[in-house]
Amino acid sequence: MTDDISQRLAKYLAPKLGVAAVEVVNLSRIAGGASRETYRFHACYSRNGKAEDRGLILRRDPPASLIDTERSAEFRAYQAFHKLGIPVPEPIALELGSDVLDRPFFIMEEIENCSVASILVPDPYGDHAEKTGQQFFSILGKIAKADPDAIGLSDFDGARETSWLHEIARWEREIDEDEREPQPIARAAIRWLKRNPPPKAQKLCVVHGDYRTGNFLYDASGNIRAILDWEMAHLGDPLEDLGWALDPLWSHGNPARPAGLLPRDRAIAVWEEASGLKADRKALHWWEIFASLKGAAIWISAAREYSDGRNMDAVNAFSGWYCLTFHNKVLAERLSAETT
Amino acid sequence: MKPEVDQILGLTAAQLLAEIAPLLPASYAQSSTGLLSIMLVFCAQEFDRAADIRAAENADMRRLVGELAAFVGDAALKTKITAASKSTDASLRISDLNAANYELRRLLIALQSHFEDNDARDAQAKIWLVLKTSAERRLLKLPGA
Repeated sequence: MTDDISQRLAKYLAPKLGVAAVEVVNLSRIAGGASRETYRFHACYSRNGKAEDRGLILRRDPPASLIDTERSAEFRAYQAFHKLGIPVPEPIALELGSDVLDRPFFIMEEIENCSVASILVPDPYGDHAEKTGQQFFSILGKIAKADPDAIGLSDFDGARETSWLHEIARWEREIDEDEREPQPIARAAIRWLKRNPPPKAQKLCVVHGDYRTGNFLYDASGNIRAILDWEMAHLGDPLEDLGWALDPLWSHGNPARPAGLLPRDRAIAVWEEASGLKADRKALHWWEIFASLKGAAIWISAAREYSDGRNMDAVNAFSGWYCLTFHNKVLAERLSAETT
Repeated sequence: MKPEVDQILGLTAAQLLAEIAPLLPASYAQSSTGLLSIMLVFCAQEFDRAADIRAAENADMRRLVGELAAFVGDAALKTKITAASKSTDASLRISDLNAANYELRRLLIALQSHFEDNDARDAQAKIWLVLKTSAERRLLKLPGA
């Protein structure tokens, strides 16, 4: 199976890299979420008589996708933020057809000798938590600061004036389509979010869409080397990403230290300084409740994909069960406090 | 005495993690096996408690809708929830408990929405108490946590 992919990939890559021939070696699938199949490989070729060996990552659509995401938007987000100096892997090639590898895919550079934190590990960052945390929330602030028009992403999905409404509609639609049983907590959250709109966004920005621990690479010194998984990138309120990054699911068991990195107030202060924006507490509260609702919607979809046999990745079973019960509890706690 | 199902699941999970996963070459296969073993641990937890959780939740919802029926102005909704408050579980099979649970949840959604429209905060607080208790009951414990 991987031999077959290697041969087809080698043929595809040669003209993309501007060389006569490429040999693809050591292709192996790695963990990378359920919405794309992720492979690591090395491309070996000769350029101007000199042998080169480049580590690359292949992200291919799965037979069924958890959340219907636009892979060309993801690729363009990598291109735009790579140019801007945000640490992201260099995007190499995007293929939207199914002739080459049966499904659409894209290729980017591999950032080597780095780790990704699992949310199941209690303290993945150890002594580097402060340093990594500063970088994590600062990079998020820089993403919020970027002007979508200036970086060529102003046509991304999103609503300019009422992004909050656009986002609720998106995730409510996912729940409508994918819920296997009635979800009273998620439904109550949707009603609360609609009845209590957030203040107007300070600006329109590119929202990463899944900015959290587990979606970045860091090296042994605690330096963030790459922000990954831009597949849900869209235009919206800068507080959307902050609310998601602060969600307790990503706290490694310690909600007082969002993302398992910095104390909450400091995390917000770092983000404010880097973005030049204010994290209005009332608005942030709304976006944090939205984040847990969005999580619930994603996990409901994951459960559906798994149960229907469309995507049997173990991640879908785990998130459709563990993560959904987690977010139901978070939402129940937060929303019950609103009525008492 | 035969080993109980939750014990078999727990030991299988441990075997997968300790003996099978390290033999697998690729990181995807290894991490998938790790996650699958966690799923077995969750199944072991659920084996012991699944019927109890659903029976308790169904009883809570029936008691709640029965208590709140008197405050419902909508006649059609009132008839439905009064009937639901007197319903029973067909058996202790998970499929039967789930079927009743889903019906009760549908009614609870309608009832909660009704009380939100009427700004009946006491009734809303009572509903949230049941939902919060349900969410806490259904939480899963990660291995080693």
